[in-house]
Amino acid sequence: MKKIILMAGLLSLLLVLSACNSKPKLRILNWGEYINDEVVKNFEDEFGIDVVISVADSNELFYSKIKSKTTAFDLVIPSDYMIEKMAEEDMLLTLDYPKLPNYANVTYMDGVEQIFASMTDTTFERTGATIDYKAYAVPYFWGTFGIIYNNRVDGLEEALYTNGWEVYFEADNYFPTARRGMYDVPQFAFAAAMMYMDKNPNDYSLANLDLVRTVLETADFTEWGDDTLKRNVEANNLDMAFTYTGDYLDRLYIQLSEDKTLDEVRDEFDLYIPDTTMVFIDAMVIPNTATNLDAAHQFINYLIKPENAALNAEVVGYAVATEEAFDIIMSYLESEDLEKKNWAVANSIYYNMEVERTYYPLTSLNPTDTDAIGTMVQNVITG
Amino acid sequence: MENKRATLKDYGYRDFTVMNKIYKVLKKFFVVFIIFGLYISIVVIAIQSINESRIISEFTNVSFKWYTNIFQEEELMQAIKNTFLVSGIATILATFLGTFFAIGLYALGKKVRVIWMLLNNVPILNADIVTGFSLMLMFRLLMVVFPNIFGLFTLVMAHLFFTIPYVVLSVMPKLKETDPNLMDAALDLGVRPYKALIKVVIPAIKAGIFSGMLLALTMSIDDFVISYFNTGAGFDNLSIWIYAVIGRRNLTPSVYAFSTLLTLFTLIGLLTYQFLQKQKKGKKNEKNNINGRTS
Amino acid sequence: MNKEFKVLAKPYMVWLSILVFVPILAMVLISISNLDSSVSVGELVISLNHFKLLLESSTLIAFRNSLIFATATTFLSFVFGYFIAYEIKLSKFKNKFILLTIIILPMWSNLILRTESLANIMSENNILKSILGFNLFGNISGTWMAVLFGLVFTYMPFMILSVYTALEKIDFALEEAALDLGLPPIKKFWKVVFPLSLKGVVTGSIMVFLPTLAGFAIPKILSRGQIVFIGTIIENKFVYTNYNHGALLAVVILFFILGSILLLTKFDKEGETLL
Repeated sequence: MKKIILMAGLLSLLLVLSACNSKPKLRILNWGEYINDEVVKNFEDEFGIDVVISVADSNELFYSKIKSKTTAFDLVIPSDYMIEKMAEEDMLLTLDYPKLPNYANVTYMDGVEQIFASMTDTTFERTGATIDYKAYAVPYFWGTFGIIYNNRVDGLEEALYTNGWEVYFEADNYFPTARRGMYDVPQFAFAAAMMYMDKNPNDYSLANLDLVRTVLETADFTEWGDDTLKRNVEANNLDMAFTYTGDYLDRLYIQLSEDKTLDEVRDEFDLYIPDTTMVFIDAMVIPNTATNLDAAHQFINYLIKPENAALNAEVVGYAVATEEAFDIIMSYLESEDLEKKNWAVANSIYYNMEVERTYYPLTSLNPTDTDAIGTMVQNVITG
Repeated sequence: MENKRATLKDYGYRDFTVMNKIYKVLKKFFVVFIIFGLYISIVVIAIQSINESRIISEFTNVSFKWYTNIFQEEELMQAIKNTFLVSGIATILATFLGTFFAIGLYALGKKVRVIWMLLNNVPILNADIVTGFSLMLMFRLLMVVFPNIFGLFTLVMAHLFFTIPYVVLSVMPKLKETDPNLMDAALDLGVRPYKALIKVVIPAIKAGIFSGMLLALTMSIDDFVISYFNTGAGFDNLSIWIYAVIGRRNLTPSVYAFSTLLTLFTLIGLLTYQFLQKQKKGKKNEKNNINGRTS
Repeated sequence: MNKEFKVLAKPYMVWLSILVFVPILAMVLISISNLDSSVSVGELVISLNHFKLLLESSTLIAFRNSLIFATATTFLSFVFGYFIAYEIKLSKFKNKFILLTIIILPMWSNLILRTESLANIMSENNILKSILGFNLFGNISGTWMAVLFGLVFTYMPFMILSVYTALEKIDFALEEAALDLGLPPIKKFWKVVFPLSLKGVVTGSIMVFLPTLAGFAIPKILSRGQIVFIGTIIENKFVYTNYNHGALLAVVILFFILGSILLLTKFDKEGETLL
């Protein structure tokens, strides 16, 4: 009997202990491995706050976790179209800019400004309301989408630079035996097909849905996935895949840390960014379920600082949002550290905003349309 | 007239020696194939854990750095801690509760018991996805009253839901095997019922409780789908974390190292347990021999 | 057993009743209505609108895939699993526990990790190829063979355990009697041993069939997104917060599960020997 009471006592003690913790907590919902642990640790040490990071792997999951309120997150880092959706549904709090002093010392990159403007435009077209998204969000990372291709295939690089999207979608006309991969998010597949047809990827209609279906079917994809796409092109198990630019840089960085040179890696697999492509931005927002507003603002302010943003980018591999942070990375071009130098070179190539391109950020579509696209993609995969 | 001598064949004896030889070879081949199929993924995980390169399609050099790196990976450590916490609590509670529930059900008598055992099987047989999804829906209804419910609480509740039946299922047969006279004898000697329960019945069904506990632990530690739907507040267990990380970025090879270590420890643990059992039996035999008994 | 202990069962009976029936009721309700987090009770509309989903070609194909793979996996697990269980029973090894441990040990490794490793070595260029120089599996990644292999070897241990438990219970005296009466070993097996072990076979089959039918992780990873199972679609619906459709599909799977439970009761009147 005594043993049972002892055990029960220990158990309740365990439960109680696990529940309480004296340090203030900051609950963040982020993408998997999308933050440099060193940055988190530095923040925790400087501010004495316990940072708890939850992970989800899609914007839709972010949305359902915030909507269902299963956890009171203080800070979330969703993508552009999801920010639009959350703002429309009043799920976000406006930022208290006086609490973000570092903001006065940075300039957003031109592409970032374009994205914010575009988001405001599409929202206006859809709902008639004018929303300045900077009121809700501070950029975290942004980037473009591109086609990772297997440079070990003769002539593929040339074909892509000459004919663009056609090489990727028209499996009958170009490289019929090539193995093509597409991202597992139906809206991305829809957008890619629309851009191939020189249309605005946010222009959803039943007619377009049909056209997209035909395009996707002719592409004859070998694989639908997410993280596996970039790894498979790297490993020579796929020839072309439509992914985030950051995905490519992610693998590039790992290859560089294995003591390969930038040229060696680019000879094996490289990235082609089409003239019309998608952009995205992941930004920090504060949901209306937040309990620790001060800590959330402190964290945002901390990451605005160029040094911290650059440090974060070292591990994550996507593009920094502020010119100051980009300058820090460009300073590594002169660095003795070969790894840093290569990374800087890669950044200057792939995030080169001098090139004339049409960038489309994706907007949020209403649930019925999203569902219809999802069903269409399932039909393509199974049929 | 020639007297045909009856051969063995006429008596119905068929010569299987050749077929037996072939069968023996085939058997060995089959066993090897099946062990290969079961273990190939474990072996590959072990290889990936000692691969110096982070690129999982190339093996460069042998390196044990991912083993020492396990403690550096914050997210991984947190996921591991969460897994042990949830599975630990759920297993202890499930063993405790399951044993007493089984005893209660046994006391009900056969007719009533059958119905409840049927319900008991539902969590076991129900598809993970249905259980996970439906439990989540139910917890969300409760959120109106308890807004912070999702997290450790819902996770433990969900795990209890599918582990308690395993304990009940393990204990029940042992209960049926115990001699009913034992209980009566204890009561006759003046022991109060609950004390008798603890001192007489529980030791008799020890084996069932233990195997139930092992089963509960196994099912709980590796659970993915049910935890996926029912977690919150950053309580991602190892399976959820791996699934999320696979979705966006490269897995840190330390996960492979951890997995290999877990497999090795489990193996050593179970072998040690067996060894100890043998020792116990050996000692028991010795004692009996000294006392002149034969068993 | 003392009748006093009946009271111990009462909490469990309440627990089971609530946790088994309420979630299922919730799910059925959501599948036939527009109940949603944004819809209040007053706006509830019962409709069979969602049933249109069942007629989509992708849904039907997904069902077909799930059924075919589940059946094939169960059959192969039965053939391989029964064989191993029988061999363990016959083996002269004193400690059967160690043999069973060897069978169960892989289950202790994380399922996603194991499946990812399989996907790795089934691709054209993989880690084993870089060590050994050749491809053990050929290039079957993304095909039905990869999925089948993964499913069979993941769920076979369940079959092995079930069958072995049933085999172990067979009184050896029965086998001896059969041999004494002149049956050759093969006939002894088919006429005496196998029928007595049938309960284990049925239990094992159900424990393989159901997870395979409803699973999504293994097919998704091993088929590189190409082969769609019903579980894949349910997971998609969950991720895109379309709970109504997801619940509907889950309810359909529930019918299969209930059917299996009923089948089990035919073979095992007491419902107490799943293990």
